[in-house]
Amino acid sequence: MKTLYVEGDTLLHRLSPRPKLLGLAAISFLLFLIDAPAFLAVAAILGAGAYASLRLGWRQSWLRLQMIMLTIMVVAAFTLFLNSSGQALVVLLRLTALALFAAAVTATTNIGDFIDEITLAARPLERIGLVRAADIGLSIGLVIRFVPEILNRYQAIRDAHHARGLRPGPLTLAVPLIILTLRNADEIAAAIDARGIRARK
Amino acid sequence: MSTRDLVLAALFAAIIVALGLVPPIMLGFIPVPITAQSLGVMLAGVVLGAKRGGFAVLLVLLLVAIGLPVLSGGRGGLATFASPTAGYLVGWFFAAVVTGYLSERFVDRSQSGIVQIAGFFLAALIGGVVVDHALGILYLAYGTGTGLSTAFMGDLAFIPGDVLKALIAAFAGRAVMVGYPLLPRRA
Repeated sequence: MKTLYVEGDTLLHRLSPRPKLLGLAAISFLLFLIDAPAFLAVAAILGAGAYASLRLGWRQSWLRLQMIMLTIMVVAAFTLFLNSSGQALVVLLRLTALALFAAAVTATTNIGDFIDEITLAARPLERIGLVRAADIGLSIGLVIRFVPEILNRYQAIRDAHHARGLRPGPLTLAVPLIILTLRNADEIAAAIDARGIRARK
Repeated sequence: MSTRDLVLAALFAAIIVALGLVPPIMLGFIPVPITAQSLGVMLAGVVLGAKRGGFAVLLVLLLVAIGLPVLSGGRGGLATFASPTAGYLVGWFFAAVVTGYLSERFVDRSQSGIVQIAGFFLAALIGGVVVDHALGILYLAYGTGTGLSTAFMGDLAFIPGDVLKALIAAFAGRAVMVGYPLLPRRA
C-alpha cells in the first residue's frame, strides 16, 4: 500500500511529529473559534504557504487535494445557495486552510514515527488498563499485512461466481469473504501467542 | 482484550479497507452502485459486537490518520478529518459500537431466522444510519458553519442508500452467524 508520506528534507520534514500534531491541533482550534473572514483568509494563505514549502509540484499537489477540495466546494456552494455568501466564504476559507495544514503534516510525517507517537500517547490509557499501547502497532501491522490477502480472496469469490454463471451480489460476496477471513483468526492468534509477542514484559 | 479478539478486529479492519478498494457493487434492482465501505462498518458491529467491532473501525480511522489512503477513492491523511464530511467518518466508530451493542441485545441464537434478521436490521439502522448521520449533520452544521437546515438537506440524499446497506448488513449478519458465530452472548 502506498502511503501519503513524501520523502524530503524540508523544514516540516525535519520537525518531529509531536510539535507538528500539536501545532495542527492548535491551528484547528483557532480556525473553529474565530469567524472573521480576514483571519481565515490569512490562515488559508499560510496553509497554502506551508503546503507549497514541500515543493510537491502542481500536478502532484492537485492529485492529493482534489477529492477534499471538491467536497469543500460542494459544501460551500450549498451554503451559498441556501444561506448567505458571507457564510459560504467562511466555510470555504476555514476548511481550505484546515485541509492544507493537515495535508502538509501528513505528507511530511512517516508512518513509523506516527505509530510511535500514538503508542506514546496511549501510555496513560495503558496505566488505567484501557488498552495495551504496544497492541496499536501490532494491530496496524496486521491490517496492512492482510489487506492484499483479502483482496485476492474477494477476487477468487467473484471468479467463482462467474465460473458458475452467477451474478455477484453484495450478500453472496460479503458473507463468504467474512467467514473465510475470520476463520483464520484462531491460527493467527495462536501464532502471535506462540511467539510471545504480546507477553508481559 | 484477548489475542483472538485483537486479531478478529484487525482482520475486520482489513476487510473494511479492502471493501474500499474493490469496484462498487451493482444491485440488480436499482441503478446506483453501492460503495461497500460504510456497509463494512455496519457489518463490523453486526458480526463482532460492540467492543471488537468498535476497535476494528477505530483501527481503520487510525490508518487514515497516519496517512494511509485506505478510504474509498484513495482518500486518507489528516486532511480527511478536516473535510466537511468528517463527522460521518468519526461517526463510523460510534455507528459500529451502537450497532454492535444493539445486535448483542436484540439477537439471540435461539431466535428464528426472521427475528434475527429484524434484530440486526434495527441495530444497523439505529447505529449505522441514525447515529452516523446525526453526527455527520451536526459537524457539517456547527463545525463548518453550514447551518442545520443546509446540512440536513444535503444529508437526505444519502439516507435511502444507507437504509439499504443496513438491510444488506442484517441479512449478511444472520448468514455469518449461522456459518461462523462470533457475536458475544448477552445474558
